Formats: sequence, C-alpha cells, structure tokens
Amino acid sequence: MSMLTGRTRKRFFQCLQITLILIFMAIMLVPIAWIGLAAFKQHVDVYQLKLLFTPTLENFRTVFEAPYFLGEKLKNSTIVASVTVLFAIPVATCAAYAFSRFRLRGQSALLVMILATQFVPAVVIVLPFFVMFRDLGLLDTLTGLVLVNLAIVMPFAIWMIKGFIDGIPVETEEAALVDGSSRLQVIRNIVLPMAAPGLVTAGIFCFIIAWNEFLFALILTSKKAVTLPIGLALFKAEEGDLWNLLAAAGIIIMVPMFVLALIIRKHFVQGMTMGAVR
Amino acid sequence: MRDATLKYVLVAPAVVIVMATAVWPLFESFRLSLYAGRLSRPDFPQAFIGMENYTWAFLEEPAFWNSVWVTVWFTVVTVVLTTVLALSFALLLAPGGKFRSGVQSLLILPFAMSPALIGVSFRFMFNPEFGLFDAVFGVLMPGVAAVSWLSDPTLAFWVVVMADVWGWIPFLTLVLIGGLASIPRETIEAAQVDGAAGWRVFKDVTLPQLVPVLAVVVILKAIFSLKTFDLVFMLTNGGPGTATQTLSHYVYFNGFKYSNLGYSSAVAWLMVIPMIFLTYAYARFVFDTRKS
Repeated sequence: MSMLTGRTRKRFFQCLQITLILIFMAIMLVPIAWIGLAAFKQHVDVYQLKLLFTPTLENFRTVFEAPYFLGEKLKNSTIVASVTVLFAIPVATCAAYAFSRFRLRGQSALLVMILATQFVPAVVIVLPFFVMFRDLGLLDTLTGLVLVNLAIVMPFAIWMIKGFIDGIPVETEEAALVDGSSRLQVIRNIVLPMAAPGLVTAGIFCFIIAWNEFLFALILTSKKAVTLPIGLALFKAEEGDLWNLLAAAGIIIMVPMFVLALIIRKHFVQGMTMGAVR
Repeated sequence: MRDATLKYVLVAPAVVIVMATAVWPLFESFRLSLYAGRLSRPDFPQAFIGMENYTWAFLEEPAFWNSVWVTVWFTVVTVVLTTVLALSFALLLAPGGKFRSGVQSLLILPFAMSPALIGVSFRFMFNPEFGLFDAVFGVLMPGVAAVSWLSDPTLAFWVVVMADVWGWIPFLTLVLIGGLASIPRETIEAAQVDGAAGWRVFKDVTLPQLVPVLAVVVILKAIFSLKTFDLVFMLTNGGPGTATQTLSHYVYFNGFKYSNLGYSSAVAWLMVIPMIFLTYAYARFVFDTRKS
C-alpha cells in the first residue's frame, strides 16, 4: 500500500466502499424483489428460475376469489389496525401530555412499567386472553383482536408522543395560561396543532405494528376475524405451497406498509427504540 | 379542573389500558401456571398443583431444554451477527451524501415487512428445487446444489438465523447511523489531525463514544431474539423435528396444540425472567440518554 500515492489510495477505498454498499443493498433488496417477481408469474413459471417471463395479473385476481377470499382478510386487517390506532392515539396523547408537562407521583415507575410491557413475550399475554375470550365469546372477533393489539401498541404510542411533546417549547402554553385560558383549551388550541405531525407519525407507526401482528391473530381467530398475515397460511395445497398466490398476497400485505414506512422514516428509529436513540 | 387533579385524569385511561392488556395477563398467566390446566376439558382449570408445572419442565421434559438451548444459541448468534454487520453498514453509510442517504431511506423497506412474511419469503428462496439461494449456491459451489436446506436440522437453524439477521440489519443499521451522527465531529477530527490512522480513530475515539448506543442495540436485539415466534412459525414451524423450536414456539405448541395451558403458562413465565433483567438494563439506558 505504501507504493500508492495518497490520492490513488483514497480513490481505491472510495470505490471499495461503494461496491460494498451496492452488495449490501443487493442482499437487502433481492428477497423482496424475488417475492415481488413471483407475484406476477404464472404458476408454471414460479417453478423455474426464469427472469424473463410473461407477467400476469391473474394471481391478484385469484387471491380475492373463492376459496381464498383475501378481500375479507384485507377488510379485517384494515378495521383492526385502524380501530386500534383510533383508540390508542387519543388516550396515549393525554397520558403523554401529562407525563411531559407535570410531575406525577410514581412517574418514573409508571413510565418504566409502560416501557417494560412492550418486552413481555406475546405468548405470555395471549394465554390468559385466550381463556377470557373463550368465556366471553370474544374468540374470533375483531373486538377481541383490537383489545389485545392495544397491549402492543400503547407503550410505543405513549413513549413516541411524549417525545414529540417534550420537543414543543412550554413558553407559548404558559403565556396562554396567564392570559386566562384553561389547561384543556391550551391542550386543544396550542398543543394539539403543534403536535399533529407527531401524532400522525405515531399513528402510522402503530398502524404498521398492528397490521403486521401475527401471534395474537393466529391464536385468537379462526374464521371470521382472520387477518392478512394469517391469511398467508391459506395458500397451501396438497401439492405444496402455491407460491405465486402467496407472493401476490405478500405484495398486498407489504406494499401499503412500505408506503407508510417511507412517510415516517425520519422518526422511525426514535419510535422503535422509545427514545433511547434519537 | 385544577392541574393537580387533571394530570391524573389525563394519565388514567392509558394506565388502565396498559394494566388491563399487558400487566393483568402477566399475573393471570402466572396464576394459571400453578394449575393443572387442560383446555380441552370443561372443568378448566382443574387442580391447583403449586410449582409442579415448573418442576415438570425442569426435570421431565427434554423438549423444554431443547427449546431453551435453541433459543439461547439463536439469541447469541443473531445478536452478534446483526450487531457486527449493522455496525459495518452504519460505518459505510454514515458519511452521508446523496447516494448514501438514498440507500438509507431504502433501508426502511425491510422493516415494513413482517417477520411472518420474511419467513415465507425465505422458505420460498430456500426451496431445494426452484429456490433462488439454491441456484446461487449451485453455481458457486456445485457440491451443495439441491440441498434440502430446511430438512437438515443444522442447515435449517442457520437459515432461520439468516432470515432473522436479514430482517433486523436495516433497522439496527439506522439506529447506529443515528448513534454515529451524535458523536461530535471535533473529537474525530482532532484525532485525525494528531495523525491517527483510520482504524485507530475508530477504535480509540468512535467506538468508546458509541458504546451507549451499541448497548441499546444489543439489549433490544436480545429481547426480540428471545421472543422470536412469527419467523420460526412461517419458515420451519420449529422443525425439522424440534431443531428450530424456540421457547415461544414451544409455549404455543404446548398451549394450543396439546391444550396444556397450565404447563405452557409456566414455561412462558420462565421466559419472563430474563426479560426482566434485559428490560431493567434497557430502561436505565433510556433514562440516562434522556437526562444527558
């Protein structure tokens, strides 16, 4: 290396870095692309490694027809994720505001408890819920699914929104309070508009989590309330997996989430680590 | 309403929901773990048997120890591999610029893919007849062509590891890029001015300052590795045999396939114990970062 001049060496390292990045990206994107391609292949083409094939939209039609009826699962997933978010965000916002602006008794303990619940294995949570839902007749209902989804979504929502509200300066609020506004007016007229982008971000984040949720839906639903990720199990036939249909269903599950994830990408790390890394 | 009252009113609904949906099940499943609880029978839960479910797991169930071993080994391997690889990619991508930031925003895509879907995708790619990986390996090493990846216990385990690492690298890379960005540039520049070589700068200046973020990455990944279920369920369903049966999968199997809810609650609770330590460590880092 000492033979090379400083500049050549620098250029060599730059090329090496770009190459490594490209290889890395290829490894990251190929599995996604491969599923993407399979979704447009005909049944016969899936079983060959052809890159050139006549693309077809047939798979996307088949998955919505009998006996698969993916549309129903799509509807269930959309309802469960939306209702979960619509419940979680307002409740989390109230709590986050209080945690951010006031000192509460046992505040740290409460915040740690909320954080800790996110780390409880889902199998632990689902066991008692299964027994309870069976007794209450909530098995295989969307209501039941929304309830358990709140368990995984709430900690994220509270911590994320608290982070956003922490970032809003208190001065405007204090001025409004001095001018005679009530606390609730301050929250409605000042905090909510300023925190709105943060609330949308947290909402999208929770939507993705609820949409991709797997274990609860696997155990607590069987027919009527089945969601998209569980619907993937439908595409098994006696001769094995129907890969082209699986891939098409996969595309339907992931593409909306790709779009949502790209919208919130700036806040994504902060959300996932609950503010441990910004 | 006065602030002193209002603050508790605002917090109450959230605390109630968290208590009801996450804290209550935790205690309830502990209570269930003390019973002989056969779901299939109408008199569920049958009899209070104290710690018998736990002693049964420890003393009478080789399958339990197998899943402990699989889970621990899986956690160690995936934590080490993801951390090392994510750190390398973070260092490659950290300098910024148009190309690198473009690549960074693409990294968000695998996160949006659920572990269940990653499982499906990898099962597809590792198919011995028409899988992509097999074709690639067949060209590189003709000896391993048409290997049934998922029917060999050892290979299946490593395929699960590969899929998991693949799914986690993008997120942890982004976390570490964030961590690298928060290191003051002056400290690195000062070392460079002093004539330290690239590797020395990294080892003596960058790495020590990155330790808190690295710790968060390791703890977070360990927690999620210990919980692994979706991926295993879709990729190997614990098999072949029990070669890839993680604890979560073992709990699922005993609880809902053999409907032995008391026993599976006991095993689930054994999973909670390491979580308590990891969560404690994680919470300390979260609060430390916030204070500074």
